Amino acid sequence: MTNHNFCGRTRREFLWQTGAGFTGTALTAMLSQDGFFNSTAHAAEGLPEFVNPLAPKDPHHDADATACIFLYMYGGPSQVDTFDYKPDMMGRDNQTVQVKTFGRGGHRNEGRIVEPRWKFKQYGECGKWVSDLFPHLAEKVDDIAFIHSMTADSPIHGSAMLMMNSGKILSGSPCIGSWLNYGLGTMNENLPGFVVMLDPRGGPISGPKNWSSGYMPASYQATVMRSQGNPILDLAPPAELGTKAQRELLNTLREYNTEHLKSRHDNSNLAARIASYELAFNMQAHAPEAVDIAQETTATQTLYGLDDPKTATFGRQCLLARRLVERGVRFVQIYSGGAHNDDNWDAHSDMEFNHNLHAGETDKPIAGLLADLKQRGLLSKTLIVWGGEFGRQPTAEYAKGTGRDHNSYGFTTWMAGGGIKGGVSYGQTDELGSAAVQNRAHVKQMHATILHQMGLDPNRLSYFFSGLDQKLVGVEEVEPLHEIIA
Amino acid sequence: MRCALSIFTVFFGLAGLVRAADPVSSEGLKFYETEVLPILQQHCYKCHGEGKNKGGLSLAGRKLLLTGGDSGPAINPEKPAESVLLDAINFRSFEMPPAGKLPPEQIAILTKWVELGASMPEGTTAPATPHHGVPQVNEETKNHWSFRRIVRPEVPTVDRTDWVRNPIDAFILAKFEAAGLSPNPPALPQPLIRRLHYDLLGLPPSLELVQRFEADDSDATYQAIIRELLDSPHHGEHYARYWLDVVRYAESNSYERDNPKPFVWRYRDYVIDFFNSDRGYDEFIKEQLAGDEFAERSSRALIATGYYRLGLWDDEPVDAELAFYDGLDDLVGTTSQAFLGLTMNCARCHDHKLDPLPQKDYYSFAAFFRNTRHYGQRSDDSVYAASIRSIATPEEEAMFAVEKQQWDERVGTLRKQLDEIEARVRPMLQGGEKDDFENDSQRLRVIRKHAGEWLPREEVETYAQIRKTWNDLRNHPPRSGAQALCITEHGPQAPATHVLIRGSHKAPGDVVEPAFPVVLSPPSPHIQPPANGQSTGRRTALAEWIASPQNPLTARVMVNRIWQWHFGRGLVTSPNDFGLKGEAPSHPELLDWLAAEFMEHGWSLRHLHHLILTSNTYRISSAPNDEALAKDPQNHLFWRFDMRRLRAEELRDSILAENDSLNLETMYGPSIYPTIEKEVLAGQSQPGRNWEQSSPDDKRRRSIYIHIKRSLTVPLLANFDVAEADVTCPVRFATTQPTQALTMLNSAFLLEEAQRLADVVQQDAGDDRASQVTEALRRVLQREPTSEEIQRGLIMFDRLVNLHQLTRPVALKYFCLMALNLNEFVYLD
Repeated sequence: MTNHNFCGRTRREFLWQTGAGFTGTALTAMLSQDGFFNSTAHAAEGLPEFVNPLAPKDPHHDADATACIFLYMYGGPSQVDTFDYKPDMMGRDNQTVQVKTFGRGGHRNEGRIVEPRWKFKQYGECGKWVSDLFPHLAEKVDDIAFIHSMTADSPIHGSAMLMMNSGKILSGSPCIGSWLNYGLGTMNENLPGFVVMLDPRGGPISGPKNWSSGYMPASYQATVMRSQGNPILDLAPPAELGTKAQRELLNTLREYNTEHLKSRHDNSNLAARIASYELAFNMQAHAPEAVDIAQETTATQTLYGLDDPKTATFGRQCLLARRLVERGVRFVQIYSGGAHNDDNWDAHSDMEFNHNLHAGETDKPIAGLLADLKQRGLLSKTLIVWGGEFGRQPTAEYAKGTGRDHNSYGFTTWMAGGGIKGGVSYGQTDELGSAAVQNRAHVKQMHATILHQMGLDPNRLSYFFSGLDQKLVGVEEVEPLHEIIA
Repeated sequence: MRCALSIFTVFFGLAGLVRAADPVSSEGLKFYETEVLPILQQHCYKCHGEGKNKGGLSLAGRKLLLTGGDSGPAINPEKPAESVLLDAINFRSFEMPPAGKLPPEQIAILTKWVELGASMPEGTTAPATPHHGVPQVNEETKNHWSFRRIVRPEVPTVDRTDWVRNPIDAFILAKFEAAGLSPNPPALPQPLIRRLHYDLLGLPPSLELVQRFEADDSDATYQAIIRELLDSPHHGEHYARYWLDVVRYAESNSYERDNPKPFVWRYRDYVIDFFNSDRGYDEFIKEQLAGDEFAERSSRALIATGYYRLGLWDDEPVDAELAFYDGLDDLVGTTSQAFLGLTMNCARCHDHKLDPLPQKDYYSFAAFFRNTRHYGQRSDDSVYAASIRSIATPEEEAMFAVEKQQWDERVGTLRKQLDEIEARVRPMLQGGEKDDFENDSQRLRVIRKHAGEWLPREEVETYAQIRKTWNDLRNHPPRSGAQALCITEHGPQAPATHVLIRGSHKAPGDVVEPAFPVVLSPPSPHIQPPANGQSTGRRTALAEWIASPQNPLTARVMVNRIWQWHFGRGLVTSPNDFGLKGEAPSHPELLDWLAAEFMEHGWSLRHLHHLILTSNTYRISSAPNDEALAKDPQNHLFWRFDMRRLRAEELRDSILAENDSLNLETMYGPSIYPTIEKEVLAGQSQPGRNWEQSSPDDKRRRSIYIHIKRSLTVPLLANFDVAEADVTCPVRFATTQPTQALTMLNSAFLLEEAQRLADVVQQDAGDDRASQVTEALRRVLQREPTSEEIQRGLIMFDRLVNLHQLTRPVALKYFCLMALNLNEFVYLD
């Protein structure tokens, strides 16, 4: 374990971020010399520069991807019903088998096979087997790298969600989007760097914990964006005031603040606060433009399924995600599924009802997103991640019905774009898809791969906290999944 | 399972061939080279090959195998079948290789090889320096500045004796004189009183108080004001917040349900009361760590042990034992950082990388808590069983017993009614329904299915009704209000505490006894189980040691916090880390002098407050000074007072105070719920769950009374860097970001409060615009505005009304909103 930057940059960042009375330009200048900021440009006219904590920073190495869209299939989609084709299961519906499982129903040693209710066909040049749940997405398999051997530390939603988003089953750590913004900054100061879009049925279990910046400062926390109505909380000026009169208010505010600053000229926090109001005013103007889908052609809207009520919501969010990454947003996470039970992919009672619903809502939009990014030349720079907090068991949860319990011993996620190989499948589960057996991959490796593709070294990106250099991937070194990297 | 069977076939097949063999026979070596080495090279050597030793283990030679790694020798020549290596490849303890279990043939080969004595080249014995550079416990590290006993230093002699009001000034001035610096001139009365008032109460001063001090800024008046403020009950409400940050105070458990912690607010009230009293800090320590073990039962002390229950709790843990040790780690980490400034949590899996804290010290420290009961098992009832105790008086107990008996009877009667109806239905059940009926929760469904057939429809509805009442009642047993969230133990005998190898509860190592960190040259703990037989007395021993004047860290850590709370920054800027890599103190002698003074005055916070507040060091201005800035840009030497931004709670409380609507009357009790926008609630999986509606009066109470829900934070507070409550927070961030500006300009809360401010301004100032501007600025800034400032406000007014066609009342509202956004309001000099 190396601690080479323990007393250097990291520690200074820590001091700077804690604030704690560390006023003054001096420290800022020191950090600039350290290369902590490589762009500090945002000054209100005639005032010292505002050092935006989200100013862009150099990556550790040349990045394949400049943005990441994480399509979060909340609840846990079933691998054997989607992308992890198990011919051995066919014709064995209701057979009792010896198989070790662990879900919300606890540990079991045997179960009743639920044969997948969908037909599988081969697609693309790679000949990938995909179930009928994803007729549109299946056409894109040559752009996708499937990871079939995923494992996670928990098969329980609360802790598993935290693991997938923050790398730990204990709450309190920053999420991937916070790490990316901490490591890279944002390309567009007029938009938040980390955006989350939720399913209209509700948030996921643990809610805002899933997009918290944990022990990092609030500068790195996510902004929840709505695809309809006012996109960001408190973004719009009050109607009775309007933008022009608000500008008047801000001008006066600035005059008072500038006067106040005169006798405190060395205090960069005061100057930063003045500049932050200009930035906020710009956000008010830019964010609504970014979410204005009316600017898109009918053909594009149709590509994402906006013309069909079933796919319109997720489609709109995918289209928004594209518009946001085009404008420099670093990390966008979209939740398919919300609230509890069948409102998300958590198919405990009826696989068919549940997965037909959620796959039906997302299949065309995701395929549309991949196609649209590709036709605009953006796919090569945008990393797409698809998956839930775990998968599902091959066997039934109850004596009757097709529902499956949670499974963190083996499940499937996939990535595409952003320097990821297309048309490949990594790792394997056993013949029932119950557990990863070959090239087992852990959530940490998936995180390492995301960071690596974004230009960051997962074993170097650290944040000093509680006596330790904390990392998204934990203290042990973790390798990205090189086999799926182009 | 099929594949499992095949493993066994191969295994036993080969095992049959095993014969006693020379450990390093040429035959064995050949087997190694042709069969074993390729497997090791392909699957193991990336982490455990030549010169590599992940987990301390290298497999590059036989001696290295026998030396082993963190989990001991890899092979056991006496009992080959019990070798760690074989456990690992069979996924019994570790799971190796991590990428997936080896094919059964390869497992069989490795098994045979180990059984035959693991022939391979001897290789080197030198372990590849597993813990290179880890600080050791030795005379040098024992002599680290914060690990030494506290000895009161001499107060330095200085030239400018006229500047020295008390020894603090002498220590500070001595550094100035050495550095060729001069302290700033005294702060003007208005900024000083604003600083003092926020410092002690977290609230803006009244204009009258400012004017009183401006009229007479004598030392006597200043000291009288300090006394008034320290005597105010609102002082504790402000200072408690600092301590609550340090002890990760939150009122819910996190995770899926994130349910509220019952009676947790009593701990918050206890802390408020402590800061409002002048009881010693040593008592405060003992109450929190061992109040339940006091010889004389005290509900205050019992409530104080709620300290242990403030952390995360996963009511649905993946691994219950792991969850227990995570809980223990929370106690070790929080206790060592909060009271001792040691990050002992870093030594859970291995020796501390930066401090002389061996892993053994971690487990010896954890042993003090080993016998405590985990927060709960799963249900609310389990939480009540493990973590809730009565603090009722005998009279209250008696009343509650009656209530409980009535509840028992009522539930019993309802159940009897259900049983009777079910007994009549039972003979009619057919086939699968008989099974279903075994399950109580299925009975209503079955009975409903046959409504009108087995039972008349009305009776089915009656049954359903009774069932609902019974169920509701059963799930809500009466709970006495006179209860507290507190620590409990399993009894007077603790189970053994093991060092956990690499922090894994699946790999217990040596047994350790409770002991204090060796590097502090501590005494042995004196452990005596209390007479009540309910606990081990271990925590009392811990508390006695922490609260002892012989402890080198406790007083230093606390006086540093108090300094930080007054000046915004500690003499040690890493207040939870006084270790080797923590920040060195800017004024070590002053720190030690304050620590000695603190202990000699009965660990009195009041005494320290008074010393600090009456010093010249506290009273100087915050203005810049070019010469000093050049020499000491970061103000290490305290040549000026650092400006600071209001904390999140101060900001909200001030906004309410300035429009006269802050409810200061109501103190204590269950927490309150200000309005959270529905857009924010939509992020919850059950929007609005566990976020209640408080009365309008309650919504205007101080921020310290706001319910702290781990997965949902009031946006204004979150934006202004309220502490993340999952772990101890010694210093808050003070970020500046555009989202703060958006909240301050556009949020419903600010708009509502700006309107209220406009209303009171209108009331006080009447219709005259200049008077309105003056009154608004007075309220927000606690001073008389200058004529230029009034003029600037009038221009804004004029343009809003004439250019932008706002009505006069609306223009006033937005002038008030503007005022609430001023840097001068949000920053203190």
